[in-house]
Amino acid sequence: MSKPKHERPAILRRQPMADWSFAILVLTLVAFGLVMLFSASCAVAQYRFDDPYLYIRPQIVFAIAGITAMWLASRVDYHIWHRFAWPLLGLSLALLALVLVMPEYNGCRRWIVTPVGTLQPSEIAKFTVVVLFGHIIALNQTGMQSFRGGVLPFLLILGPIAGLMLLEPHLSGTLLILGIGAVLMFVGGTGLRWFGLAIGGGVGAIAAALLFVPDLVPYAASRLESWLDPFADPLGKGHQTIQSLYAIGSGGATGLGLGNSRQKHMYVPEPQNDFIFSIVCEELGFIGAVAVILLFVGLLLRGLTIAARAKDKFGALLVVGFVVQVVMQAALNIAVVTNTIPNTGISLPFFSSGGTSLMMLLGEMGIVLSVSRQGLQEKY
Amino acid sequence: MLSDLGAAVGRKIRRRIAVVGGVFGLVCFGTLTARLFYIQFIDSDFYTRHAAGQQLRGITVNAPRGGIYDANMNPLAVSVSAWTIRASPREIADDKVAATAAALADILELDEASVREKLDDRKSNDKLIARAVDRAKADAVNLWCAENGVEGILVLEDTKRVYPEGDMGGSILGFVNVDGDGVAGLELEYNDLLKGENGSLLSAKNAWGYPMPDLYETLRTPTSGSSLILTVDTAIQHYLENHLSRAVEEYNVGARAVGIVMDVNTGAVLAMSTKPDYDPNSPRTITDEALRAQIDAMQGEERAAALQQAQQAQWRNKAVSDLYEPGSVFKLITASAALDSGAVTPGSTFVCRGSINVAGTRFRCANGRVHGAQNIADALMHSCNPSFIQIGAALGADRFYQYFQAFGLAEATGVDLPAEPKKSEHYTADRMGPVELASCSFGQSSKITPLQMITAVSAVVNGGKLMQPYLVSAVLDENGAISQRIEPQVKRQVISAETSARMREMMKYTVDSGPGKNAYVAGMRVGGKSGTSQKLDSEDSTARIASFVGIAPADDPQIAVLVLLDEPHTFTTAGGTLAAPVVGQVLRDTLEYLEVQPVYTEAERKNIDTTVPDLVGQTNEYASARLAEAGLGSSTRGGSGTVTSQYPAAGTVLPRGSTVVLYTENAAEETTVVPSLDGADPEQTALLLRQAGLNLRAEGAALADNVQAVWQDAAAGTRLPLGSTVTVEFYDTTIPED
Repeated sequence: MSKPKHERPAILRRQPMADWSFAILVLTLVAFGLVMLFSASCAVAQYRFDDPYLYIRPQIVFAIAGITAMWLASRVDYHIWHRFAWPLLGLSLALLALVLVMPEYNGCRRWIVTPVGTLQPSEIAKFTVVVLFGHIIALNQTGMQSFRGGVLPFLLILGPIAGLMLLEPHLSGTLLILGIGAVLMFVGGTGLRWFGLAIGGGVGAIAAALLFVPDLVPYAASRLESWLDPFADPLGKGHQTIQSLYAIGSGGATGLGLGNSRQKHMYVPEPQNDFIFSIVCEELGFIGAVAVILLFVGLLLRGLTIAARAKDKFGALLVVGFVVQVVMQAALNIAVVTNTIPNTGISLPFFSSGGTSLMMLLGEMGIVLSVSRQGLQEKY
Repeated sequence: MLSDLGAAVGRKIRRRIAVVGGVFGLVCFGTLTARLFYIQFIDSDFYTRHAAGQQLRGITVNAPRGGIYDANMNPLAVSVSAWTIRASPREIADDKVAATAAALADILELDEASVREKLDDRKSNDKLIARAVDRAKADAVNLWCAENGVEGILVLEDTKRVYPEGDMGGSILGFVNVDGDGVAGLELEYNDLLKGENGSLLSAKNAWGYPMPDLYETLRTPTSGSSLILTVDTAIQHYLENHLSRAVEEYNVGARAVGIVMDVNTGAVLAMSTKPDYDPNSPRTITDEALRAQIDAMQGEERAAALQQAQQAQWRNKAVSDLYEPGSVFKLITASAALDSGAVTPGSTFVCRGSINVAGTRFRCANGRVHGAQNIADALMHSCNPSFIQIGAALGADRFYQYFQAFGLAEATGVDLPAEPKKSEHYTADRMGPVELASCSFGQSSKITPLQMITAVSAVVNGGKLMQPYLVSAVLDENGAISQRIEPQVKRQVISAETSARMREMMKYTVDSGPGKNAYVAGMRVGGKSGTSQKLDSEDSTARIASFVGIAPADDPQIAVLVLLDEPHTFTTAGGTLAAPVVGQVLRDTLEYLEVQPVYTEAERKNIDTTVPDLVGQTNEYASARLAEAGLGSSTRGGSGTVTSQYPAAGTVLPRGSTVVLYTENAAEETTVVPSLDGADPEQTALLLRQAGLNLRAEGAALADNVQAVWQDAAAGTRLPLGSTVTVEFYDTTIPED
């Protein structure tokens, strides 16, 4: 075989088609997210910083960077991540430890401030768990039924990560990571009999954490209390929830119209971040809210289809991990803003303000696309 | 190759992937969708209301209230622009509060301390500073705020109710409160129509209390109210009020007087008044000066209670809201019923022996007279109680009550005015024994409203149709187009046209021949009936209501006038003496205004008006001849030469037979002293005036017997040019109570 005269670098070489449906879903979410972020953040940005574009400007930059990252990641053979699996764990643990000595913000230490932007080590940890679990399960062909092969390694990885995150404290992030881990183990073939124990262990771990770190008890308890009756303390603990419900409820069926939210004018706290969904509900109503949910459901189903058609177990698990991570986070966020579960800080993927996290998310979506290139192609 | 690591995706994994998809796709998101549905549909109102409660500052923009116009589109009630000043103290900068309070107090002429107090409520977002502010002040406030950069002062255009006719028609028009809602009269009755729909200005504020951008400001434009066109005619209303007020003053009427002018053929109320009433422009001011002074002398709660009581009293439309004993006026109803039912015939005779015994109770004829045998027409004319007791007995309780009901006297008329009693006080047939029937027959045991009385009398004379009384003839929409027209409505035929015609003759006979003469109007064929009723439930046994109802022209009735003076305090309480002249005056002015053609009798023709010709420059001889031709006499001063001036001047309208003074050869015009005419009869009066070189215009019942001068327009002792005309009213002041 003679090489063509001007051979292109591997990454630019002609490759099988990526999954366009998935790519379009992702891009739609990004576009929708940017529009809503601008609408939700402009009032706060104006009032607080006299600059309505304060939040949307970096987000657009990061979105463009993220889409580029997605494109690149989609063209890189995903098997390359086998190599990074264990180093990533080291990096994650190091960053999770480092964040604990960073300055406190809102009573938590979750962010590492870099010149480019803020970085949440928990984002790296989530990525790590997906890649590492996929790596381990893909190599561990036979032992998934046993405790030694199907449970213990994963517990040993999740344990320190969850422990460090609880110290931030970052309860929602911890739950998310445990949830992603559990889903990957489930899909990877861990014996169902271990699952009761695994879930019980997770619950036990939280209980243990609450026991060993007494500071967490009042923190969690106060959140639970305001969940059951947010109106008990409307100006205090129930404030966020109440304002969020006001926004969602006043949206009604069709909403007040894009840009017309009133609750974003300093009533809903952090309308550009964790509570952006309530602004979506207020402006676009039930229709808009369901549209967002359907986009996430579409992303899930399309992602899982890619996983089922993946070339190998590693690819399937990467896709399941990333997609479930997005969807689980979205579900938890919506559950929080609708007061379906107790209030806990969790952002809405593609929508909430946060450039590095968006870029990372898009990179992960790129890996999903990369898996789709090598999987069974649909016949058109 | 890296891709060699790992194994292919097995069936088990695919199955578990499907489970993951099911759990998240259906269970999680399904639950969340259901939760959203619950919040955004089921509980949406609750959250929307609470959200709006914290976000919105609503301000009502009042709709322009519709106008009220008389039958000729003269405005009786209109809304004009006025401005309301409000403050939102939380939006006023702390360091500007003091200056703002001072400026507002200065511009609006308010007490600075009280303005300051309002602005010092720093958490409030709505404080009323002043209402009904005129444009100049409103502009001044706006300007001051703009120049001084003060935010949080709102200048809102509003409306203010103005009644251009002043104190005319207060009891029918009513008035509005500070919120622009009708409190009494037509303003209350038609409040919903007049009011329209208020608009609102909603502005959104962020959590810090600052206004959100303009796009959140929504103005719901107000819908103007409809306007009303009344059957009431300002001219007639003025005639009625003027004559009624004069009687109230002259006869010291203690419990207010009522006058109603009705179109007998349609039931349309042409004028309606209760005197004294109030000026709807300042309804809270007590009209009665003595009472006002008395209340002003009181203190604290006592004063407040007395003031409120006096206000309530003067706002009450006695014509519609108060029941009274109609007395002998009611005999019209008894007579109509008896004739219409055939219980008596025009030829039936009744004997009056001065009193009559009914089941052990003795009833006297009201004025102690003995009328002897008489027919129904004479019985009505004499207002003979024993005869009417006999007529009532012939009719019987059942038929009496049937007609009572048929004339609409048992239930409310349904007129379009508020506060009408649901039913009158009366005996039903089953509760009416012979004694009650007897007293009811001459109008003494039932209590009805003045409006019920005149509506029934209209049916008596208009051919027997009971009409629905009404005041509003049309409703105009906000563009001035007629949106609803109210047509006259016949409730029922009560008596036959023949009975009605006979009743008209009997009423005319009463005015022409007897106690009704004071309501006479030359050429107008007036019919009528007087009444002097006892107030049976009054503590004062001498309390009387003097009333009179007149209709004209008797051969083709157009209008009915009812006047009642509740508790007059003067030389008599007789309706024929006190109320009949008022009815006559109102009829005279109204019929002339309505251009009803007079038909003069021979006697009346003598006094008919004629116009003075221009005689200056003519020879004295020729001038005298011209005057004689015009039915006027002449008196020459200066000689037989050319007329150099005349008095009265050419074009003056004089009663036929008056004398015009001709000055010849530049003789100087002379004056004369007006004599006192008080108590003189018409002949004596004419003589006295002629002797003084003056002419007489005789008003009132001048042609009737036994009348005397009761009023003259030029006071005795004043000097007038020779040949001037003095108007004198003649009435019979000895009409007995009935």
